[in-house]
Amino acid sequence: MKLVTKERKEYLISLSLSIIISLLMGGVIMLINGKSPIVGYGALLDGAFGSKFKIANTLAKTAPLVMTGLATAIAFNSGISNIGGEGQLYLGAFAAALSGIYLSFLPKSISIIAVILIAGIVGGLYAFIPGILKVKFKVNEVVTTIMFNTIAILFTSYLVNNPFATSDSKMSGTDIIASSFQLDKLVSLTTLNSSIYYVALIVILMYYLMNKTSNGYEFKMVGQNGLFAKYGGVKSGKTMMIAMVISGAICGITGAFEVIGVHYRFLEKISPELAFDGMLVALVVKNNPIGIVAMGLFFAAMKTGSIYMETATGIPSELVKVIQAVIILFIAGENGFKSIYINWKLNRESIKEEN
Amino acid sequence: MFKDIFNLALLQHTIRTATPLILAAMGGLLTQEAGILNIGLEGMILLGAFFGVVGSFFFGTSAMGVGFAVLSGIIIGLIFAFFVIDLKSDEFVIGIAINMFAGGLTVFLLRSIFGVKGAFSSPKIIALPRINIPILDKIPILNTLLNNHTIFVYVSWILVVLIYIYLYKTAQGRWLRASGEYPEALETAGISPRKMKYIASIMCGILCGLAGAHLSLGYLKLFTEQMSANRGFIAMAAIIFGGGNPIRTALAALLFGFFDALGIRLQAVGIPSQITQMIPYGATVVALVVMTKRKINQTRVKREQINE
Repeated sequence: MKLVTKERKEYLISLSLSIIISLLMGGVIMLINGKSPIVGYGALLDGAFGSKFKIANTLAKTAPLVMTGLATAIAFNSGISNIGGEGQLYLGAFAAALSGIYLSFLPKSISIIAVILIAGIVGGLYAFIPGILKVKFKVNEVVTTIMFNTIAILFTSYLVNNPFATSDSKMSGTDIIASSFQLDKLVSLTTLNSSIYYVALIVILMYYLMNKTSNGYEFKMVGQNGLFAKYGGVKSGKTMMIAMVISGAICGITGAFEVIGVHYRFLEKISPELAFDGMLVALVVKNNPIGIVAMGLFFAAMKTGSIYMETATGIPSELVKVIQAVIILFIAGENGFKSIYINWKLNRESIKEEN
Repeated sequence: MFKDIFNLALLQHTIRTATPLILAAMGGLLTQEAGILNIGLEGMILLGAFFGVVGSFFFGTSAMGVGFAVLSGIIIGLIFAFFVIDLKSDEFVIGIAINMFAGGLTVFLLRSIFGVKGAFSSPKIIALPRINIPILDKIPILNTLLNNHTIFVYVSWILVVLIYIYLYKTAQGRWLRASGEYPEALETAGISPRKMKYIASIMCGILCGLAGAHLSLGYLKLFTEQMSANRGFIAMAAIIFGGGNPIRTALAALLFGFFDALGIRLQAVGIPSQITQMIPYGATVVALVVMTKRKINQTRVKREQINE
């Protein structure tokens, strides 16, 4: 298989164009606000990569985006839309916190693996329900997973404020997990922790699963052409279910890493829509695993960089959210823009011929 | 304690909280009928809430606030329509992008226009007028329940009826529904489904803008970050619950508004509100399963009849 196909080349051009235009728009907004875009973007870049700490923070933010991005990709490639990543993440995170509190007798050698498994199973099961409703009863999974998100967030909010509320402070959080469950910070004073190794492992696993195995072939076939895959003998329902459960499991594990790697406890608002951001990362690169890593890094760099940009230049950090949303709009409209461009070109050529 | 929770004020509060849900749900219903699942309601409401405050603050009248909210609705509705209809983008990707865009833009503008973080309130923000119906003054219960609400409460009820008439009793309404279900047939009849979908999207933007204006100008006179607080998704739930019918959708929105109002009151007496807040979402999943099953059964019966 050729690595750089014509299709991919065209796509890379559209992607670069989308990013450049969006960044230019961001620059114009900075100018309107009386700020120099060069200074603004300079601060953004410096904030993302300017020192060891900044790079560490960027990498720490990349990990959950890549994880939830991959979770999105495997589901979408199989033709099932998992928008419930946020809910799966919350339940996985909560399960991880409970494990860290009640299984504190486990030695470190197995505690981490145990917590990853538990969070994965919880997230996977929570994804299983909308999955089975879709496959068996044809219930629209976009709607059910959206509803399931809020249910999970409210449910964990109830648990963390009532039966499992910590007694040592007034925050809405659980008790601190046992030290045998806490992952080491790799760079002190940053949130970068050893979960990044597990994330790397999961990325490699997912890459092979989606590209090199016959399962991956099935995932893609079902996603691209539900009908064709069915005639080809692939059981699309079963593949969708497997993909959905894997997707939910990865989101659950992402939540676990937030607990055992970053906060060491479950917090009521533990995820600032991480799964939504990850989903958008995946959509921008059309669910390509390598693309997800690159785009995850890009989005994470903008996130960490924007906070520094705000303190250094006074440009509100939310500007990058606007820029990211515009990138997504452009990419989502890519095919449409392309056909408009082709029509325009054809029109112009036909006018030339007439002359 | 029971009397502290279940009283007339609860129902009055329900009517208040249900209003933005009804407005947004009517908007989402129109796009739904035109065959577009719009999950960008949340962002559209948020934009309306913000620009309502902008208009009201700078021009000193609530009418300009509403005008700005409507304008933001028209623009975001056009953007949504352009991407979904003309560029044929995935509708829910655009919906999510709109939510993200609105969340980022409103906070960004909050800080660059008003220079504040989190929330903005000012005596210069003029609230929506309240309507006093003189006849109701003399009827004790109905007076507390139905009188002296902001104008949008009554507007939303009238709109429900108007949208029902529009969808089911007018030619354009029938075309709009056909543009979702039988676009090819509509095309053959010489009516552009594209145009109908555009109309639905823009009306949806306007209605969500009004919902937002009710949030920020109705009772509180302020804008806070993420003020829409999931109302777009509850509105979506109401649409699904209502099965495409405006009246039933509005009733579902009222019911969900009731659970919201109840949750706040329960919290005040120390009972966790999350459980009552979960009810709309759980109920919607159940309703969706039941309705999908019924639909599948109906098509099966139809097919069997044809085969016979």
